[in-house]
Amino acid sequence: MLSTTTPRPEREQRFVEILQRLVDKSVDEYYNPYREFDWPETLPSEMMWMSDDLTSTYGTEIVNELTEAQRQQLSRWESINFYSLNVEGIRELLVEVVRRIHTRGFEIPSDFFHHFVGEENEHMWFFAEFCLRYGGKIYSGPKLNSIAHEDPRVENLLVFCRVLLFEEIVDHYNMRMAGDTSLHETIRQVNRVHHEDESRHIAFGRELVSLLHADLVGDLTPGQREEIEQYLKRYIAFSLRAFYNPQIYRDAGIPDPLGFRERLLAEPSRRDAERRAVRKPLAFMCKTGIFADDVLPGI
Amino acid sequence: MQSATDQIKQWILDRHAEVSDIEPDFDLLESRLIDSLAFVEFMVLVSRLSGEDIDMESIDIDDFRTLRRIEARYFGAGVR
Repeated sequence: MLSTTTPRPEREQRFVEILQRLVDKSVDEYYNPYREFDWPETLPSEMMWMSDDLTSTYGTEIVNELTEAQRQQLSRWESINFYSLNVEGIRELLVEVVRRIHTRGFEIPSDFFHHFVGEENEHMWFFAEFCLRYGGKIYSGPKLNSIAHEDPRVENLLVFCRVLLFEEIVDHYNMRMAGDTSLHETIRQVNRVHHEDESRHIAFGRELVSLLHADLVGDLTPGQREEIEQYLKRYIAFSLRAFYNPQIYRDAGIPDPLGFRERLLAEPSRRDAERRAVRKPLAFMCKTGIFADDVLPGI
Repeated sequence: MQSATDQIKQWILDRHAEVSDIEPDFDLLESRLIDSLAFVEFMVLVSRLSGEDIDMESIDIDDFRTLRRIEARYFGAGVR
């Protein structure tokens, strides 16, 4: 990983070499997503659609209030919510990357951006396809536009940190479900294919974020540094809360869905599962110095 | 017992130590007291307090812009 004390030409040279390797891998491993998947007409309802330990009720006493059929039903909507979050997240990252490709300051990663945009477009397609085929809808939330930071260098760092954090959290879920033999093969395949591409995007994201941060950190006041850290930690908490979408409890037929959600969020055991999902990106953010510690705001 | 609007105001104040009070017509969204990261939780709070099942996909964001508008839309009265 790059250090903030490494001279810029060296950091840049390393970035160029890594990008070339990632571009080569993208080309070598290219596949046609529109032919890759064997979409069955339906998926069985009498099974879990998400690994048990990834569901929002896991580790709580509350899960015992549900019958097995209710747990399976809820896992179906949790699964549709997860792929919907991917659709929503990819839309945001595509907009941000397209806004920057071949613009000043992004000369080096622009070639990689072409592969990134192409692959993310394909991911968005297969996630949307899963949601629409097996859930009949894509969950969507209210759109409140985030206001760009006044300093474009800070805004670039925030954008690519958000992209990286999102990809890392998703990858935690993808890796677990790709390897979970209790899940239907279509579910495992969607997660496996996504994980394989995302490992390149995460490697890229870590390098770019390190570089953007190294370029910026010397010019930040302690107050600005703190502001960046707090904002990104709130983003992590926000991302984790998205897995407790009130609509999934409603669609699963759970009475008082908001009360049910509130009780889940209040369960201390949920903090362990959430920490597992963000362990890797938190360690990275601390190691680069973007975070001073790994304490997250209340969720 | 606090009114729903007081509870909503307190929820915001708890998250913004730099703010001591919020006027009924103060724009919560423009001022970023409620930003994109806080909006979903804020909406859930209003839904719980009002007992109204708010459809996240079809809400009018402007209904959440000020305490007065929230009161008028979800609690059917004016802000004192």
